[in-house]
Amino acid sequence: MQEKVVVTGLGIISAIGISTDETVKSLLSGVSGVGRISHLDTIHTEIPCAEVQMSDDELRKSLLVSDDEIITRTSLLGISAVKEAMRYASLNFDRKLRIGLISGTTVGGMEKSEAYYKDFISNDNHKEYIDAHDCGACTEKIADYFKCFGYVSTISTACSSAANAIILGSELIKNDILDVVVAGGTECLTKFHLNGFNTLMILDSRPCRPFDDSRAGLNLGEGAGYLVLESAAVARQRNAEVICTVSGYGNACDAYHQTASSPEGKGAMLAITEALAMASLDPCEIDYINAHGTGTGNNDMSEAQALVTVFGDKLPPFSSTKPFTGHTTSAAGGIESVISILALRHGFLPHNLNFATPMKDLPVVPLTALKHNVSLKHVLSNSFGFGGNNSTLIFSRQ
Amino acid sequence: MSVYITGIGKISVQPLDQSGSTPQYFETRYARCSDPAFSDFINPMEARRMSTIIKRAIVSTRMALDEAGIDMPGAVITGTGLGCIEDTEKFLTSMINDNEKFLKPTYFIHSTHNTISSQVAIRLKCNGYNNTFVHRGISFELALHDAMLLFMQGKVNNALVGGHDEMTPAYFSLLDRIGYWKKEVVPSSSLHLSSTTGSVAGEGSTSFVLSSQKSASAYARIIDVSTFYYSDAAKDPSEHIEAFLSMHRLKPSDIDLVMTGINGDVNDNNIYYKVLEKTFKDTMAGWYKHLSLEYFTSPAFGLQVSAQCLKSGKIPEHLRLRGSFNGKLDHILLYNHFKNRNHSLVLLSSC
Repeated sequence: MQEKVVVTGLGIISAIGISTDETVKSLLSGVSGVGRISHLDTIHTEIPCAEVQMSDDELRKSLLVSDDEIITRTSLLGISAVKEAMRYASLNFDRKLRIGLISGTTVGGMEKSEAYYKDFISNDNHKEYIDAHDCGACTEKIADYFKCFGYVSTISTACSSAANAIILGSELIKNDILDVVVAGGTECLTKFHLNGFNTLMILDSRPCRPFDDSRAGLNLGEGAGYLVLESAAVARQRNAEVICTVSGYGNACDAYHQTASSPEGKGAMLAITEALAMASLDPCEIDYINAHGTGTGNNDMSEAQALVTVFGDKLPPFSSTKPFTGHTTSAAGGIESVISILALRHGFLPHNLNFATPMKDLPVVPLTALKHNVSLKHVLSNSFGFGGNNSTLIFSRQ
Repeated sequence: MSVYITGIGKISVQPLDQSGSTPQYFETRYARCSDPAFSDFINPMEARRMSTIIKRAIVSTRMALDEAGIDMPGAVITGTGLGCIEDTEKFLTSMINDNEKFLKPTYFIHSTHNTISSQVAIRLKCNGYNNTFVHRGISFELALHDAMLLFMQGKVNNALVGGHDEMTPAYFSLLDRIGYWKKEVVPSSSLHLSSTTGSVAGEGSTSFVLSSQKSASAYARIIDVSTFYYSDAAKDPSEHIEAFLSMHRLKPSDIDLVMTGINGDVNDNNIYYKVLEKTFKDTMAGWYKHLSLEYFTSPAFGLQVSAQCLKSGKIPEHLRLRGSFNGKLDHILLYNHFKNRNHSLVLLSSC
């Protein structure tokens, strides 16, 4: 009998707060982090984004990272969230635990590369940042801050990267390869992403409106979210408080188009179904769905189709929290797992800001108002990426 | 649980026709792949929109699937250190040069690392498990390990696993600036004796079909894969290697060939020599990076040549680094490290 995988720590940083406490407060008070760009150096200042309200210097100071350390914003955000998650889990490194760090990211160190690329090509001025560009380098910077990780891995499946990191972490624990895994993702806002999504014409010029008939695209965000995962046995041994279990997950590929989801949401449907089967749950037992819900015409219709296919007319309360955090791309699966688990722990249902009119072709209605004092047992989080990388996670109260 | 390599597809810096007994050696700082005629595999209209790495991945995948006799793999998993760097550079350069104006979406769409796994899955219409690992010099081994986990859980009967990286001229010169490559030209056949830092730049695309069923085309059995990390340089990787072997009830002397990742960088080479001296004193040692040259997923090339050895029961002269072959070839251990921080082990046996 394989041990259950449990969650013992949460860490988050996004436009709506730099800790789990601040995040809960923002979700409960309905304050969105989407606004005008103030940190990113871009000509597209008219496009709303959800930036973490700290500069690199402020992040360095708060994390005690020296000014001359070669580090990217992606890593700084990651360190902030991993630090909170490890403190939350009261991880004590005196023990001989096999600890791993699995991080999802797509842009990696691009924020520095796009600033210094001309130098990279022609001179030695910022050459130290060349080796900080790739995704793995960003994960190692996080690992080296803590110096306790004997296993590191980096996953890049676009906007489902962090969800896949959590799946891999759970598998490594189940198979007794590691005792504890810190898994999630980190991504900072870059000109590369902003311009990339802009050329695809899927950035809304107003705050995003997932599942609304008038939706016109997404708002990019940034941040990091990580979970501390361990086996129930290890948590018992070290008297760690268990927040919830990772009861099910699914990974499937839509295999339809590089940047569009299939109209019927096949990959999404397969991922959700697989996660439910693994958790041995009937669809009606899910109490809340944190949807991928980006606010693009294509994603929301495709995801809604998948939800209706799986849940029929008994669709559980659902919302996209991207109007709060923006779409944090590779970090989204981590950030939204933390939000889903905070909802489970504190008994509330975060609502889908900015929703007014149901989609004409498929009128599903997300949560339009915050719900307090609800008892939740099973929550489900969807993360879908370009290229059809679809993943679903289910967290359950003990 | 048994996992077999039942199909291999490869595009590398070696010539396409590898029927001759001697491989190509290099006297250069940087070599690119010998590409097949992509039009034999991909409709030219489609190929025009694809970057080089995608074309290579599609072709090496096709070769591996054909050899294994499989149409639809249960999973598609990719390891790539840099992903689709060619399209990333194109988008980045035009964004910088034109100050964020007049950009076209095509290069951005194909810039993400997971484009390789996605494009392969889209072509095969494969809805199964799909993942992409992007961690420096262990990207491929992490992908391989992910596949092993799927087999352990009984989730798939077969899986497609690839190691793909391209070395664009721009990235070659960026990495050159920070000492990845030798400044002088050293014959690749003597990289194991080099006394200078840096390696020789290469690239490659290697795909494998893994299967829980041993078929006629099977090359070798993968027993286990392990990666480990040191925030500070490893003091004694031997400790970890010996623990890994004993977990499988093996002693270093049970290993018939240690396939090392010796790459010509004197600091990197010394780590391998230390491990050989300490743990594998009487074991035959091999190498392959003088044939593949160095890139983030070069260990995939190492797995391919090791699998060939196990299938044929022979160790070609050009793969031998040290020791003599006594004819027994049951176990091969692939050992690679990246900057003495990331270390990887792949344990293979004959079928």
